[in-house]
Amino acid sequence: MHRIIVTVILLVGLGYSLVVLAFGMSDWRPPGDQQGYSPEQPITYSHRLHAGELGIDCKFCHSAAEHGKYAGIPSTDVCMKCHKYVTSSFDLLQEEIEKADKEKRKPKTIISAELQTLYDTLGLVDPKSPEPGADAKSIPWVRVHNLPDFVTFDHSAHIVAGVTCQKCHGPVESMERVRQFESLSMGWCVNCHREATENGIDGHPVNASLNCTVCHH
Amino acid sequence: MSHSDGNRPRTVDLPILAGDSSDMSRRRFLEAAGFTFSLVALNGCSRPNHELALPFTDQPEGQIPGRTQTYASTCSGCSAGCGLLVGVRDGRPLKMEGMPEHPLSKGGLCAIGQALPLGLYDRHRLQHPLQSGKQSDWKQVDQAITKELESIGNSGGAVRFVTSTITSPTLQASINSFLTRFKDARQITLDSVSTSAILDAHEQTHGTRLLPHYLLDQASVIVSFGADFLGTWISPVEFTSAWRTRRVPTEEHPEMSFHAQFEGQMSLTGSNADRRYRLAADEYGAVLNLLYSQLAERAGESEHGDTHGDSPIPAAELSALVDKLWHARGQSLILCDSQDVAVQVLVNAINHLLGNYGKTLDIVKPSLQRQGNDRDVLNLIDELQAGKVSALFVAGTDLTHNLPNRDKLKKAISKVRLVVSFSEREDDFATLAHFVCPDHHPLESWLDAEPISGVVSLYQPLLEPLGETRSILESLGTWSGRKDSAYDILRSSWEKNILPRSKSTSFRNFWDQSVHDGLVEVAPVKSEAGEFNADAVTPIPESKTPSDYCLTLYSRIGLTDSRHAQNPWLQELPDPVTKVTWDNYVCLSKAIAEKLDLVEGDVVRVSTADDETSLELPALIQRGQHDRVISIALGFGVKGTDRFANIGPKWFEGKPTVQPGELVGKNAAPLIDASNGAFQMNRSDVTLTKTGKHRDLASTQEYHSLEMPANVAPHGGEVRDIVQETTLSAFSKDPEAGKPEQHVHGDPQIWPEDHPKEVHNWGMVIDLNACTGCSACLIACQSENNVPVVGKDEVLRQREMHWIRLDRYYGGEDDDVQVSHQPMMCQHCDNAPCETVCPVLATVHSDEGLNEQVYNRCVGTRYCANNCPYKVRRFNWFDYPHEDSLVNLALNPDVTVRSRGVMEKCSMCVQRIEEARIDSKRRGEPLADGDIKTACQQSCPAQAIVFGDLNDSQSAIHATKENPRRYGVLEEFNFQQSVSYLRVVKNRDDHSQDGGEHV
Repeated sequence: MHRIIVTVILLVGLGYSLVVLAFGMSDWRPPGDQQGYSPEQPITYSHRLHAGELGIDCKFCHSAAEHGKYAGIPSTDVCMKCHKYVTSSFDLLQEEIEKADKEKRKPKTIISAELQTLYDTLGLVDPKSPEPGADAKSIPWVRVHNLPDFVTFDHSAHIVAGVTCQKCHGPVESMERVRQFESLSMGWCVNCHREATENGIDGHPVNASLNCTVCHH
Repeated sequence: MSHSDGNRPRTVDLPILAGDSSDMSRRRFLEAAGFTFSLVALNGCSRPNHELALPFTDQPEGQIPGRTQTYASTCSGCSAGCGLLVGVRDGRPLKMEGMPEHPLSKGGLCAIGQALPLGLYDRHRLQHPLQSGKQSDWKQVDQAITKELESIGNSGGAVRFVTSTITSPTLQASINSFLTRFKDARQITLDSVSTSAILDAHEQTHGTRLLPHYLLDQASVIVSFGADFLGTWISPVEFTSAWRTRRVPTEEHPEMSFHAQFEGQMSLTGSNADRRYRLAADEYGAVLNLLYSQLAERAGESEHGDTHGDSPIPAAELSALVDKLWHARGQSLILCDSQDVAVQVLVNAINHLLGNYGKTLDIVKPSLQRQGNDRDVLNLIDELQAGKVSALFVAGTDLTHNLPNRDKLKKAISKVRLVVSFSEREDDFATLAHFVCPDHHPLESWLDAEPISGVVSLYQPLLEPLGETRSILESLGTWSGRKDSAYDILRSSWEKNILPRSKSTSFRNFWDQSVHDGLVEVAPVKSEAGEFNADAVTPIPESKTPSDYCLTLYSRIGLTDSRHAQNPWLQELPDPVTKVTWDNYVCLSKAIAEKLDLVEGDVVRVSTADDETSLELPALIQRGQHDRVISIALGFGVKGTDRFANIGPKWFEGKPTVQPGELVGKNAAPLIDASNGAFQMNRSDVTLTKTGKHRDLASTQEYHSLEMPANVAPHGGEVRDIVQETTLSAFSKDPEAGKPEQHVHGDPQIWPEDHPKEVHNWGMVIDLNACTGCSACLIACQSENNVPVVGKDEVLRQREMHWIRLDRYYGGEDDDVQVSHQPMMCQHCDNAPCETVCPVLATVHSDEGLNEQVYNRCVGTRYCANNCPYKVRRFNWFDYPHEDSLVNLALNPDVTVRSRGVMEKCSMCVQRIEEARIDSKRRGEPLADGDIKTACQQSCPAQAIVFGDLNDSQSAIHATKENPRRYGVLEEFNFQQSVSYLRVVKNRDDHSQDGGEHV
């Protein structure tokens, strides 16, 4: 009798595990592989709009990429270079101007919900004049591309060699929300290094080293 | 119900099993359940860590994430004032390097300087001011102190301000202006390791209290009486750098300086001397007397007559030394660390007789690195005891720790109405203070320094203060009713005092340039040194019959005084001579050990004749120690060092580094003899008794031996030429002298020649003749490469983790011991024995000649360490503690923090190679020689290390290929190492033994 109870408990446990596993299985991958990872961000910033539609160069915002290891997340003052003036989408602004024209009044400042989040983190009431005393906070972006601590990847070395951003990050200019496009596994890195040494990059010969300590030290 | 049988573990009464005799034991149940639920756990693998990336709101101009920015500053480790280049990474100072442009330190930096970040990121530093030992805030403290000061000022009470040597002109001016408010106010300078007698002697012979600037690079004959100038004395980095310039004989110029050392204990300097004489400190006077009278005879001023008194040194050797000195008039230098003014006067007289003033001793631009005045301190103690002091301020020194008669002093201090300490920690004196007003860490604040008259440097803040601390400049200003920031005080002081001494006219440019460079050379303050006063010279009276023992108190490399005792890197730094970590001890000779029947580690009691003070410490038998001299290091037994009890890994057999209720080592300051107007570091009225207790000393030298073990050595033993030595006379005849005749096992070749190294071929050469063994490289490496601290117990188990080992070898007899130091790290062999045996390819060869260690592949078989002929591989037996998030800020983000079970070793700072390579690509220029400097090389005060590309025919290292002194350790085995050494040349005539024994 007891044996039956135990067996039933274990079977239920196993069944439960399998069910949970089956759900989890859909995005199961070996530890460390985060291909396709696309977390929700505090601001629904669209790379498609900025980099794709508006054609802003990647390095305009990620300016450190040329100069050092990390491409870096742009500081909020970079956002404010444009968004001091651009507070909403063009259509909404246009609509308000036309409406105000009809009603014979000055157009109101239209602030889109997303940009309001930006202004809030910066402690601004009116984007054009900072509210004194309010604390400017960082935007808590969620890191998408995250290599383990035992790997060093230097953005500038790859940019100098002529590797495009898209080679590793995929077509970010078409992504609404950024997702990790490639596996960024060691095998993937090594293959690219091999290929680059063999074929060069854009016709330039390169020596992409395969020494372990190039990335691991 | 339960049952048990012989085979199965006892089962437990689980309700569902009760009454059932089935085989379903708890173990089986857990096995099955564990398997089932582990599948769920596996599910967790797929979820990435939710990690935030917080950007700046305003990006500071020029700051690039992940790039090191370098700022010029000044080292605060001691009063020598070496130039510092601080590597700051994302807002945190990480790596201290020497400043190559600095006129004194010339790019060198000692172990203490390298270890500064650990002092900065220290949770035990005070975070706020204290009032009566309790946390307070600045407003309250300021109010209370201002009120007290006002009333003391009105009543005309005595104000005493005790400082360690202050080289900062601005701080000095601030203290002066603070003290002018009071009728009876005085500043007293106390050096915990004092050179007061040198200054007093110059007052007698030259009319003004000054410390000459010793120019060792101008001296071809250096005779030092006890002065450990390469180790701890006054300005060791500067002296090492200067001493080194004359220690490199070449084929074309086979010349080098002659350095004789008279000393009782084996110091680092003595271990590097060409000729070392064992002489107890109480006999310095006798030998100096003889030197003086014989030299005076040569000079024709032999009024002192007695030329052949009783000498502890053979007469023939002494007259040979006199010859050498006489021939090197104006190019010789006598140094002495005695605290006996009469002895120092005699030293001045000899230096004067040899015409050294103005040549090798500069008194026009004197040194300001030691200004301590022991007589003042003794007067202060009298005043304190008489209850005459109303306010006592102490900055930069732990008054009660560093002085003898602590209890009496404490009682006397309790009579003082206002006691204020500026200590950054709650040290011994701070516990007595009514107010502790913690100063910033020097890496957090503005300050300046003038170590040598005319060389002025700046400290600049490199991060926001981590606690509620305040610059001493601001504290003094606030109490005088001024609200200026330290920056403003410093700037206005420079505009007023430093600018007029320079050639600049625009202050703005002058200031900006000075902050950028970190230092500026200006006109010296006018020296008041007069002509030599021969009347001051009196021969030293004949010494009494020698006592049984002569106690010498010395400062240990890396610790010097109590200031750095809370730095675990420095506590675990092996003493360059004794190789002991985490303790102080009584060094004594073999003769004493035999007399008292002592073995190493036996605890002995050292007590003064009046038996008022005694100290129990383990004994260490030291080669080359004078038979009467017992020596003890200062700077131990510091309050708060009990924090290191659990510094090592925690495991069931682990023992604490510090026993409960104890501290690291014991404070030897109570044994200082305050007599003759100075704090004497030597005294003869001591007795030594065996206690019967024993305490193991954690030394790093007894293992990792490169010698062949006796049980496998061929008959008669085998001598391996690990450190090759020759003499100058032999070298001048044959530059390859000292090269042993040996058979190189190169044919037949057992290794395939499969290391093409077409682009780069990294290599390193270490000049053993320049290397003094100071161990700065060891801490530089520790800081650069995240080498963990393991604690005393692990060192005793031979598991210390330092990537560089400073091997020390002895040769010769006790009367004339010759010591060699050899930095030993991974030799990056092309035919590497470690690579051959690794079963998982965790250690492989790069196509640039490096032996790479891949931590993630390593499974910890340790075959490689067994097979390494140099014993330089270190195994992570544990995950060494990294729980303190503040200390973790000192970790280098470019280097992996290794986890348990993997092997590690010197990587030749491969992260620096990669950084420089990428940097050159960014600049679009090829890598140039000197672009890459390894951490050890960068800071070496003796510039003994050269690193570079052997393929580059223009490189400095390529040039050493032709050096006749070049050799490889154990090269007879054809490992084809990338690291080689340059043979030691001693300036001696006789042939000494090659190599040495590993003791």
